[in-house]
Amino acid sequence: MSALLSLKGVRAGYGSIEVLHGLDLGVQAGEIVSIIGVNGSGKSTLLQAVSGVVPLRGGCIELEGERLDTTGVEGIVRRGVVQIPEGRQLFGPLTVEENLELGGYSRRGRRGRHAGGDGRARVGSGPAGAAARLDQVYALFPRLAERRRQAAATLSGGEQQMLALGRALMAEPRLLLLDEPSMGLAPLIVRDIFRVLRELNQQGLTLLLVEQDARTALNLAHRGLVMERGRIVLEDRAEVLLASPDVQSIYFGQGGGRHGRGTRPAGQGGGSA
Amino acid sequence: MTFEQLLQYIFSGLTSGSIYALTALGFTLIYNATGLINFAQGELVMLGGLSAVGLYQAGLPLPVAFLGSLTIVLIVTVLFQQLAIRPLLSRGVLAQVIATVGASLALRTAAMMIFGREALPLPAFSGDTPIRIFGASLNPQTLWVVGSTLLIVLALQLFYRRTLTGKAVRACAVNPLAARLMGVSYSNVVLLSFAVSGAISAAAGVMITPISFMTYSSGALLGLKGFAAAALGGLGNPVGAVVGGVALGILEGLGVGLVSSGYKDAIAFVILLLVLFLRPQGIFGGKAVEQE
Repeated sequence: MSALLSLKGVRAGYGSIEVLHGLDLGVQAGEIVSIIGVNGSGKSTLLQAVSGVVPLRGGCIELEGERLDTTGVEGIVRRGVVQIPEGRQLFGPLTVEENLELGGYSRRGRRGRHAGGDGRARVGSGPAGAAARLDQVYALFPRLAERRRQAAATLSGGEQQMLALGRALMAEPRLLLLDEPSMGLAPLIVRDIFRVLRELNQQGLTLLLVEQDARTALNLAHRGLVMERGRIVLEDRAEVLLASPDVQSIYFGQGGGRHGRGTRPAGQGGGSA
Repeated sequence: MTFEQLLQYIFSGLTSGSIYALTALGFTLIYNATGLINFAQGELVMLGGLSAVGLYQAGLPLPVAFLGSLTIVLIVTVLFQQLAIRPLLSRGVLAQVIATVGASLALRTAAMMIFGREALPLPAFSGDTPIRIFGASLNPQTLWVVGSTLLIVLALQLFYRRTLTGKAVRACAVNPLAARLMGVSYSNVVLLSFAVSGAISAAAGVMITPISFMTYSSGALLGLKGFAAAALGGLGNPVGAVVGGVALGILEGLGVGLVSSGYKDAIAFVILLLVLFLRPQGIFGGKAVEQE
């Protein structure tokens, strides 16, 4: 079976600096994949490349075998690849409900994506569809319903992350890209958010996360990738990476040691396309 | 000064204030979408007025000339955005601002060549018979100007608050990247903002022409006063633009009465300087700061 998302030899960067040096990656439908790595390893650039914000300099990105990197930012969202950017990037002066409505911008005037295709019945097109999706998000996060007329900037950090997630769900994603979803949040709130992410995954949503908080990210994921200087250097099932002394020493802050021994190199890990 | 005189100055202030408000709105729409000060904004007002004069003199009825002028300026604005601003998007705001300065000179020269150097009139929309109110005389054109301004502001509010497209424009002003990640086409939002800004400026130009005439060179002063009004209200805030415009117009009107009509234009610039020195974020500046 072909991957839902696959990156083949992707090179991308900013100005004269190349950040991704020929990156290969596959995400299967229904999977949760976490990419961990220190700041500056290229994790965010990877998501920006998938979303089309950073143009590719080489290689290609495919969604179910069809080119994705030539469709442009808006086209990529319309095909169900939706990103929750780092720092949530809410529309602060706009109300909670307006933020959510804008999340559904790519679906306006269109048939619901999941109206039959993958077996999950979803509500149809246009304003009625948007209203139904709004209800679904409010059912998932009742707190947002209570604050629907409030400016997004007045929400607490946890509520803002809920709103960011709800806003992304309004676009009816098949693949959700999350850039540092735990950043700046209290551990209890992170646990709540990740519980919701797991539930969404069980309902069929595929997730690709990048995280600095390796432990949290790997606990959620089926599969983990370690990124370093624009390359995937490790790839394995999440519980294997969690147990790996190398990953522990570098990413769980237990000090000492260099990684590179004992874990399988990239490209041989389970499930890669 | 008698009460009648005071009222008279306020009426005249309201009229020019409405025009400043519309011009300031024109600045605000483009600024919110692009972070750009459009130095050709006043020329768009001028072009609106002169186009209506041209169409009217060509024999079209006044309402048709009005709508025709709106269309012409809208097309000019969209062409300007596509041909001059769009290629410079990656070059930063300064290059684009310089392009707007160039556009203002080009429009002014083109207007001089097409319409000549004379100040051209339009008939008032509904006659010249003044209406007496508490001893002051009110020009019926003032009612048109104030009423249309209210209508335009109301329509804009509905558009930005109630429609998904309007909300997408506001979202772009706050966070263009996040808006793109929702599937909003940023370039379409910019195009739309230029188009609406052009049409509003043209409306201002057509409405003021029966009162103060229009020449190819009127745009500079109208643009500067519109900018002063936008700065007074807090650049980037549509409500501020309207309040700033009306406030500027009334202060100017009172200044003419209390000081001297010779200082009419100076008043706007003294206010602009005071705002820039004392409160650069304007009266409603809080919103603009949030957008940083």
